[in-house]
Amino acid sequence: MYNFRRAIPAGLLTLALLLPSLAWGEEKIDTIVIFVAAPEQTAPERPSCFPDPTADYIPLQEAENLAEGRPVQAGKHADVYVASNVNDGSTDTYWESDGFPAEMVIDLEGTHSVSTVAVCLNPSAIWEPRSQEIAVQVSLDGENFTEVAPAAMRDFDAATGNRIRIDFEAAEAAYVKVIFTKTTASRTMGAQAAEIMIFE
Amino acid sequence: MKNWIKRKRSLRGCLAALACLLALGLGVALGETEPTRLTIYEGPKTMTTSETVAVNVNGYDLFVYDVMVNHEHIWNANTQPVTTPMAYFDFEGKVRVEIRMPGLPKEVASAQVLPQSWGIEPQVQEGVVSFTLTEPGQYTVVFNGEVNKALHLFANPLETDVPDPEDPDVFYIGPGEWVMDAIALEDNQTLYLSGGAVLHSILSVNQASNVTIRGRGLIDGSDYAAWNQPGSYARVPIDLNHAKNVTIEGIGIVNSNCWNVNSYSSKDVTIDNVKVISGRQNGDGFTFQSCTNHVVTNSFARTWDDSLVVKNYSGSTKDITFRNIQVWTDLAQSMEIGYETDKGLTLDPEISEVLFENITVLYNFHKPVISIHNSDDAFVHDITYRNIWVENALMQGDNGVNKELIEMNLAKSGWSTEKEEYGSIDNILIDGLTVVNTVEGKMPASRLSGHDEKHGITNVTLKDVHILGNPITDLKTLKLSTDEFCQGITIQ
Repeated sequence: MYNFRRAIPAGLLTLALLLPSLAWGEEKIDTIVIFVAAPEQTAPERPSCFPDPTADYIPLQEAENLAEGRPVQAGKHADVYVASNVNDGSTDTYWESDGFPAEMVIDLEGTHSVSTVAVCLNPSAIWEPRSQEIAVQVSLDGENFTEVAPAAMRDFDAATGNRIRIDFEAAEAAYVKVIFTKTTASRTMGAQAAEIMIFE
Repeated sequence: MKNWIKRKRSLRGCLAALACLLALGLGVALGETEPTRLTIYEGPKTMTTSETVAVNVNGYDLFVYDVMVNHEHIWNANTQPVTTPMAYFDFEGKVRVEIRMPGLPKEVASAQVLPQSWGIEPQVQEGVVSFTLTEPGQYTVVFNGEVNKALHLFANPLETDVPDPEDPDVFYIGPGEWVMDAIALEDNQTLYLSGGAVLHSILSVNQASNVTIRGRGLIDGSDYAAWNQPGSYARVPIDLNHAKNVTIEGIGIVNSNCWNVNSYSSKDVTIDNVKVISGRQNGDGFTFQSCTNHVVTNSFARTWDDSLVVKNYSGSTKDITFRNIQVWTDLAQSMEIGYETDKGLTLDPEISEVLFENITVLYNFHKPVISIHNSDDAFVHDITYRNIWVENALMQGDNGVNKELIEMNLAKSGWSTEKEEYGSIDNILIDGLTVVNTVEGKMPASRLSGHDEKHGITNVTLKDVHILGNPITDLKTLKLSTDEFCQGITIQ
């Protein structure tokens, strides 16, 4: 026996009726109808079964991102995923290196005191959790770099915004080099970063 | 939208009045036959029903979606899709479908209900198309002999055992329009997408087991620019990655910005009654790479790239079944094995035990219907095509080439990863192939070609082949060409 109750979405206006002898010319089709009604909406909404995850994101400074829009230099990139995607202000675009090691040098166009580098992937949960081995160096002339954060495996997880934050003792820098040496991602052969952000 | 709302209000009024009649005890005699059971879904209130077409089923209006398709039958990286109408409902019993097409430039004078092989003869009176359905299935209605604005009508079976919204392992998305960036499903989770729901998101099953995706709603990628456009990327509606024991049932996928149902290095996957319509770049339908034990049944793929695809990206492929599938291929191949057969450069890659059974190709406008392109170095063997029914084999190819009915080869291509080594193709059975209509009523050519004596094509058997109404019993009549590296090619 057909179970009406289980077929009716919870909390929605649903009508079930028996229409006797609905006529189509000479043909008569008795019909039981379930009408599944839509909720009142004026715009698309986030499904209520998925709470907003941003509360658990790793926090970043609200200060100016010194990297955004600055000149960048990197080695060969994969496919269309060019270096300039790492500081275009959008995590919808990303840079992917063609293998390892992969270095990204960001020219701050002036000397700043820096103490945090954040590396972000797209926060979307479709980006598989992975660890990337990342180190940070700084330079005043673009040629001689000093390590401020040693290479370490750093965990990216959509549950925390797919971002990592590397804090170090404040250092004067005109150039920041971010060095990627490994990834545990299964479907890429190179480093990936949607945004690299630098803060005082 | 306003007109549709008015119609719905009117409908509700009628329903309420009839309910009162019931309540007054007028009673209803069921008679000896079971009544039809029909479920119809109101569209989201944020969306409008199509202005092209109005569809009702046993007198009840359906919400009609305009979804992206593409009539450009040659690759164009910057192609612009058009739309065609699509609607769905669930039923058991008998329904009378009525269709009006106010959006067509001229009144409907004729109509065909596809698959033609199902023998449904529509009536056309004063521009109204009507016909009766007694079985759930995917139906396509073509008007005035033109594929433009063909209506895809998905008549689903009634749902049973709908998941409990209160179950902590169930994500229950009801009717309405919903948006979120992505949904990652984990072990033992179910995502239920109700009929009437339009979800702008993507679902990933990454290294998870025992996952179910089901319902009657739609996953809609129209929010995203085509994946190859600047600043965009592939937003795969359903993406399985090293997943195990996954069930996908009943939903529709439209307007994807890339390929559609993707499975990579996964195993034990069951897909039933899933409908894919795509019109944008690389919009492959069901595409499996290096997978094991996948079964796709009772499904539909209208695609602007390969419709059903099997490849090797990392390791071998084994035990893949496509059964009772309808295909409409606007671009590329209908049933493709390849081109990538060893993208991961693995040891001894194979693609084996792949079955295409009861496949109806409504249209193929571009490249071969049946194709094995062993473009790397895999051993491709034990591939069966059984009961393949091609209603319109209208392959135009690319500038006059690649328009065969059947093509199998070992040749390097732009998709080759293994640049030096070659594989082989062995033990291929085509048992039941019928082609109803071709370009200008001519026999389409077919072609098999190997690479050298050790890397060739062996043991290809064709049985029960009918082209344009004629039984084909010799390779010459089939216009099938082979080279010296093909052995054991027979037709019975």
